[in-house]
Amino acid sequence: MTPSLDSYVMLSAALFAIGFLGVLVRRNTLVIYMCLELMLVAATLALVAFSRFNGTEDGDVFVFFILTVAAAEVAVGLAIIVALFRARQTVQVESLDSLRH
Amino acid sequence: MTPLQTALYVLLAPLASAALITLFLCRRGAAASAVSVAAAALVAYGALALAFGGDRFTASWEWLRFGSFAIAIGFNYDDLAALMLSIVGVVGLCVHVFSLGYMRDDAAKARYFGGLSIFMFSMIGIVLADNLFMMFIFWELVGFSSYFLINHWRERTSASDAAKKAFIVNRVGDFGFLLGIILCYWANGTVSLAALGADHASSHAVYSRLIPLLLFCGAVGKSAQLPLQVWLPDAMEGPTPVSALIHAATMVAAGIYMLCRINVLMVPEAQTVIAWVGTLTALYAALCAVTQRDIKKVLAYSTLSQLGYMVAAFGLGSVGAAMFHLTTHAFFKALLFLGAGSVIVGCHHEQDIFMMGGLRRRMPVTFWTFTIAVAAIVGLPGLAGFFSKDAILVLAFENNRAVFAALAFTAILTAFYMLRLWKIVFLGASRADSARDAHEGGISLTAPLVLLAVLSAVGGYWRAYPRAFGGVFSQIPEALGATHAIVLATSLVVLLVGAGTALAFYSTDGSDSLERKSPAVFGFLVALRTSFDAAYDYYVARIQQRAAMILNFVDIVGLAGVVVRGLAGVAENIGFGVRALHTGRLSNYVYWFLGGVVVLWAYAAGVL
Amino acid sequence: MEQIAFISLSVLTLACALGVVLSKNAVNGAMCLLLCLAGIAGLFVQLHAYLLAFVLVLVYAGAVVALFLFIIMLLDMQGGQPWRFHVPEALAGFIAAALLVTGLDLLAVRGHLGAGPAVGATVGSSLKLYAYQLFTTYLLPVQVMGFLLLIAMLGVIVISRRVGEAGAPK
Repeated sequence: MTPSLDSYVMLSAALFAIGFLGVLVRRNTLVIYMCLELMLVAATLALVAFSRFNGTEDGDVFVFFILTVAAAEVAVGLAIIVALFRARQTVQVESLDSLRH
Repeated sequence: MTPLQTALYVLLAPLASAALITLFLCRRGAAASAVSVAAAALVAYGALALAFGGDRFTASWEWLRFGSFAIAIGFNYDDLAALMLSIVGVVGLCVHVFSLGYMRDDAAKARYFGGLSIFMFSMIGIVLADNLFMMFIFWELVGFSSYFLINHWRERTSASDAAKKAFIVNRVGDFGFLLGIILCYWANGTVSLAALGADHASSHAVYSRLIPLLLFCGAVGKSAQLPLQVWLPDAMEGPTPVSALIHAATMVAAGIYMLCRINVLMVPEAQTVIAWVGTLTALYAALCAVTQRDIKKVLAYSTLSQLGYMVAAFGLGSVGAAMFHLTTHAFFKALLFLGAGSVIVGCHHEQDIFMMGGLRRRMPVTFWTFTIAVAAIVGLPGLAGFFSKDAILVLAFENNRAVFAALAFTAILTAFYMLRLWKIVFLGASRADSARDAHEGGISLTAPLVLLAVLSAVGGYWRAYPRAFGGVFSQIPEALGATHAIVLATSLVVLLVGAGTALAFYSTDGSDSLERKSPAVFGFLVALRTSFDAAYDYYVARIQQRAAMILNFVDIVGLAGVVVRGLAGVAENIGFGVRALHTGRLSNYVYWFLGGVVVLWAYAAGVL
Repeated sequence: MEQIAFISLSVLTLACALGVVLSKNAVNGAMCLLLCLAGIAGLFVQLHAYLLAFVLVLVYAGAVVALFLFIIMLLDMQGGQPWRFHVPEALAGFIAAALLVTGLDLLAVRGHLGAGPAVGATVGSSLKLYAYQLFTTYLLPVQVMGFLLLIAMLGVIVISRRVGEAGAPK
């Protein structure tokens, strides 16, 4: 008795929502970034579930690309965060308010 | 040189003179006066050359265009314009020459002559105008020139008050004039005088009566008819040559001229109104003149009275009679004013007639020319005024007996106060030192007097005028038979009654006999004179001022406060609101993302 | 049997995800993320995507989370900073998350996703199949990914250069 597609999609949605909640609520830039990764992983889960239930491997292959992009993005993003830390000596996201009116 | 070119030079010479004086000769009085007199001579020569050259023409150029509406500048030189232009030229030249002597010692001579030049330009513009808009433009310019010249001695507050009064009262009349022009354009589709002559909306009941009456408002203002006559006596604050030129001979006659021009628009109802306004003005002004002490004010009221005659003549239906009286009046009234100027200068700027006297021996030229002018105005047979007044009386007798009676009575009063003036100023013994030391002025003062005296004497023989003015003078009514006899008798009777009474009643001992012997009548006449000013004063102070304060309040609170600052405040608040979106905080921007995603979802799901 | 596995794995995943979001210490958060990834890998296995589970653990948990830990250690010197709990913000966030779930759920329900039958295990874990796809149908994205990685590497090098030292990268 396999779980239906709906449950996988719901799970993926819940994970995505939790990740989104983290992005909204947390102040530490690094934690926000981790929650962003959580959202990506949720998307990959949904893709794999769909590919399994539709009988193609396109979704699986696409996950490869997502993983690649995630890796590249993490590298660059963390480099930026380090550069920001050097400028402001803090990683709290409230300190990034130069665009404030 | 074609007539059109001559007319252009005549129009533009005074303008060039004024520009020259304003730009370069502001401090050089002698040079300015020379330039101005040269321009006036050019105008006189040009006017007479054109008139007697026999050419009559029209010309028009389009000046401004707004879609289908165009304002043209043009000349309409017919017999009427020829006559008026000649009058303006000749009288203008006499006044300019007189001013050379009168204003010799004045510090602001250049400014004065500049003003005279700009006045000549404006007046010629009115005379030559071929459509109502152009006439209105020059109408306003003439009003400005009048304001400028009345205010010549700026240090006197009475002069600036008088200038303001003249301008404002004229404005009231001009408002009606402008409404009339607009209504005329709306009803007839054109304001060109030639086109109006061809056809106009005479069938429309309201417009055909309203348009001439509104246009008449302009004449009421400019020619100082009731109830807008209050500015003319005050305008005597200006120098005497100005009074002679502007407020006697030409500018105030512009109203009459304009009426003659729009003769095609007249309907009987409007003409009745016009006739009665003229008659009442004549009567009222004559009554006011009886009690005056200032020599110029007497002449001012006399001008008002004679203008009333002209307006009444027009209202009774004859352009010829009105223009004829305008011509003769220009001559003898200018002469009267210039003579008064000579007297004033001779008596060292004394203007009270009860301080004069005995000038017959001391200023002979002035005396004799002044006498001729007085004889002309009271209608001594043979002189100019007799013929023109007679023509008006004939007209009145034939058309409206009530007006005839009123005008006849006014003629009695005219003779009465003019002879009073003449006797007190010139006869008897000198009553003050200034009069005792009086002496005749120079040639520049006396030559114009002589010229105008000649014209006053012979100007009435209109058949002797060359055919140049035939188009106008052919319309002068002639009396035949019984009418002729009655009117002739009436004129002689009023002359004898008025003159005789004045000569007998008034003594030359330095006091006003009427005031002495009958204070009640004197007081009544004085009250009559001041009643209009008092009424206007009340209206302005009580009613108009209150309205102005209410409007001021509305302006400050409503417009500046609510509308202007309100709008600015609304814009500011919108700015605040939008600015608040820029928090610079990441989470807020993410919420906005979410908001956008939700909207897109709703749209995709068909909910939105 | 499969249901139990699914439920336990999903509970693990969700709990660890909540742990990432709610933990005060960033290092604790990273650890929770690791466990979450482990749970996801388990779910992948249940979906017969064995290779992907392997790759996930290797790349994501092994490299990305490790990198995260490095940077956290590098930057977050003061230990865990007290996480101030703002009610309005948390409430807004909760509502946002709920909206998201609802939206996705609606999508799933409307789209009748569960209509088709589950296909057998013929598809899935064959490396050969993946490679075939990658090098024929998806060749262009592979090349683009290569470029992306190159640019990301260059970008990281440029960004992490210390300011004021033009020419000599650290």
